[in-house]
Amino acid sequence: MPWEIVKPGTHIDFIGKRHIAAAVSGLLILASLIAIPIQGVKLGIDFAGGTEVQLKFAPGVDASDGAIREVLTGALEIAEPSVVRYGEEDHNEFLVKFPGNINEALTGSEPEAGDADVVGTDLIVNLGRAIEGAVGTVSIERVEFVGPRVGKELRSDGLQALLYASIAILIYIAFRFNTRYAPGAIVAVIHDLTITAGIFVILGMEFDLRILAAMLAILGYSLNDTIIIYDRIRENMELHTSLDLPVVLNESVNQTLSRTILTSGTTLLALTSLYFLGGAVIQPFAFAMILGVIVGTYSSVFIAAPVLLWLERRYGKGAAHDRAEADKKKKAREQRKSRG
Amino acid sequence: MSLRWRLGSVIALVLLFGWLTVANFIPKADRLESNWLPDDGLRLGLDLQGGIHWVVGVDLPTAVDRELDFVRKNISDSLEENGTSVPSMEAVSGVLVIHAASPDDVSAIEDAADDSGVLRSADIDGTTLRYELTSDWEAEIRERTMLQVLEVLRRRIDDPVRGIPDSVVTRQGADRVLVQIPGGQIDRTRARKLLKSTGFLEFKIVQDQDVNEDLLLARYPEGLPPETMVSVERDSETQRVSAAFLVPKSPDITGDFLEDARVGFDQQQRPLVNFRFNPEGGDIFGTLTEENIGKPLAIVLDENVYSAPTVNSKITTRGQITGRFTSQEAADLAVVLRAGALSVPVVIEEERSIGPALGQDSIDSGVAASIVGLVLILFFAIGYYRLSGVYAGIALLCNLVLLVGLMSLFDATLTLPGIAGLVLTVGMAVDANVIIFERIREELRGNRSPRAAIATGFNKALWTVLDANITTLITAVILFQFGTGPIKGFAVTLSVGILTSVFTALVVTRLLFHLYPGDRQVAALSI
Repeated sequence: MPWEIVKPGTHIDFIGKRHIAAAVSGLLILASLIAIPIQGVKLGIDFAGGTEVQLKFAPGVDASDGAIREVLTGALEIAEPSVVRYGEEDHNEFLVKFPGNINEALTGSEPEAGDADVVGTDLIVNLGRAIEGAVGTVSIERVEFVGPRVGKELRSDGLQALLYASIAILIYIAFRFNTRYAPGAIVAVIHDLTITAGIFVILGMEFDLRILAAMLAILGYSLNDTIIIYDRIRENMELHTSLDLPVVLNESVNQTLSRTILTSGTTLLALTSLYFLGGAVIQPFAFAMILGVIVGTYSSVFIAAPVLLWLERRYGKGAAHDRAEADKKKKAREQRKSRG
Repeated sequence: MSLRWRLGSVIALVLLFGWLTVANFIPKADRLESNWLPDDGLRLGLDLQGGIHWVVGVDLPTAVDRELDFVRKNISDSLEENGTSVPSMEAVSGVLVIHAASPDDVSAIEDAADDSGVLRSADIDGTTLRYELTSDWEAEIRERTMLQVLEVLRRRIDDPVRGIPDSVVTRQGADRVLVQIPGGQIDRTRARKLLKSTGFLEFKIVQDQDVNEDLLLARYPEGLPPETMVSVERDSETQRVSAAFLVPKSPDITGDFLEDARVGFDQQQRPLVNFRFNPEGGDIFGTLTEENIGKPLAIVLDENVYSAPTVNSKITTRGQITGRFTSQEAADLAVVLRAGALSVPVVIEEERSIGPALGQDSIDSGVAASIVGLVLILFFAIGYYRLSGVYAGIALLCNLVLLVGLMSLFDATLTLPGIAGLVLTVGMAVDANVIIFERIREELRGNRSPRAAIATGFNKALWTVLDANITTLITAVILFQFGTGPIKGFAVTLSVGILTSVFTALVVTRLLFHLYPGDRQVAALSI
């Protein structure tokens, strides 16, 4: 006998649990919607602008975030720096972030060199020198600086990317399926993105370009899951026109359940490996993706199908039969196409 | 297509891309030497090989203001010729503001402005007239300035002969330049100097000098003589002022006439920069030095005095710039002088610099994450689907080979997020196989023969696989469109990965099923 994660003939009543699912999701979404404005979305330097410097001290240098902060706020006159230990404990690395602009350089050097931008001298050089003098031998491993104008553009590009991706997918679903499937898929996607973003905000993690990329990948992944279930629902609706909608929905979710679990499983395997081994720079991305995959899998099972049921009951009565007919014709066309 | 044909083409394809993939692991020098390996291949992004990534903003408004100022002088000249009293005029933030002395002058000013051919009236309020450059001309000025700046930066940084090897200077949008300098060749401070030096060289006869500004200014209690200014010399180490000079505001000769500049050494082996003027510059310089023998001549670069040697004799085309520089600094100065001056300043708007050690760390951890992820998934697939799992595993490996090979074929750039995309692709690529295998299992449960189950499984799963992957492809393409730098790398691996994984699941896995069981009547399918 093959190893089966979901035994054939499993009939879990997902649809019957839709009220519980709705309550859970509702709570999570509510928590996200409250947390996002209250705690505020923490934008990384990609979107907010600012400077990020990764420092690596020579082995044996007794560096602490307090000592580094003292140099930054003291000699360099940097307002509101954030200093955290970075990467693995024994690496002696720190990540320094501050809202300043590296072009407005030269604090911390001789007063007569007060020129706003003397060529060849900038904040990063001064920062390296000052920290080396006060704390110990250090190398600057990474500098990221995003000026205010670029930050603004990246922000608007990011929002546009999310917007256009949603529109393009909406069009695709409406075109491939039928307009009544699209809202369910969109609800599921908004559900996933809101909750993932909410958890991010609650955990105080920063949004940057990598997280945006993760969000878009989640958008694609979550839809992917939902579409596979919808595909099956559509197929079953044609096969069993006499059955009640809730039965068909349950049947479809159960039939695709093993696939849903298996694919999430392999994706999570890959992501977990990325999270633990991929290094500190990629960790937030892997974390966001793991969250998104879990939430996305949950939503395609517990949210996408019930939303379809709810929409059908509310708006689909009467017209439902005609639509099923139209759907059947379309499907038949596609079957011919795919076989030919 | 017959089975043999299909098998042959898949094997050929995998071998071809395998060859492209494997080539990436062979050092570039060996690749260039061998005649059976491709010269190019996957490029590593700066975040993996280390290096500097700068997005540089070009100050185009300054160029526009300068052009307005130039027009202002012309208007002023033509008004003077006509006998109209010259009004006060000022070019600020793209607008030329003219205050006419009396209302009677307004029409004469308007005529003069019209005659310039490049102005359009923005607003007239009594005797105050505002003009802007016509949009065509402004676009022209901006474009010219961009091209000039781009050209100068190219000569300084990515010149094929004298520049920094493998560096790239390209235009980005209307007013930005992208500068990419791979790591390990130049430190950040030096690179920044090469980038940001305006490179504006001036020669001025010194009229007076002292050890610092305050002492010099103290000699002129009634203010500086007309058309003069103070320039200072700084110690290159401490940036402390070491001397102050009273010099004319406008230079006697500028670096525009330079023909060449090279690093050299004096008798004590101290580095210096030898320069040569073109014949026209030589004439001007000759007259200047001849008339000023015995006086110090300030050599001013970007408003800082480098040195002020005393003119001993008439000098025409050849000269030297001395100063307390290291040979590296002298060489860089020669590069900047040869490349010519930037017509407007540039400012760094975005920076991503990564040290080479960190880049190598990222590669190592990316490779580790990919291999561990791959092995985990292979184990899982084979454990769960047995022989079919082996098929899925083969398909997954083919997928990786095709993905990396395809990216190598197009000399795509692999970035750290790109590696993340690769790992994600490995995780999601199995999906297509899972969809198909689950479908086949279902068909088997419906008491179909293994052969029929395979055929129906593939047919029914086809559109599901396509639907599921097209949505992800859409988001990846949009991410590519809007993403910048390394994120684009993620979008690239993700989208190419989707294409190859659909191909391997639908073609390679299916082919394997055709090979075994194929037409054989097997009792049970190992799935």
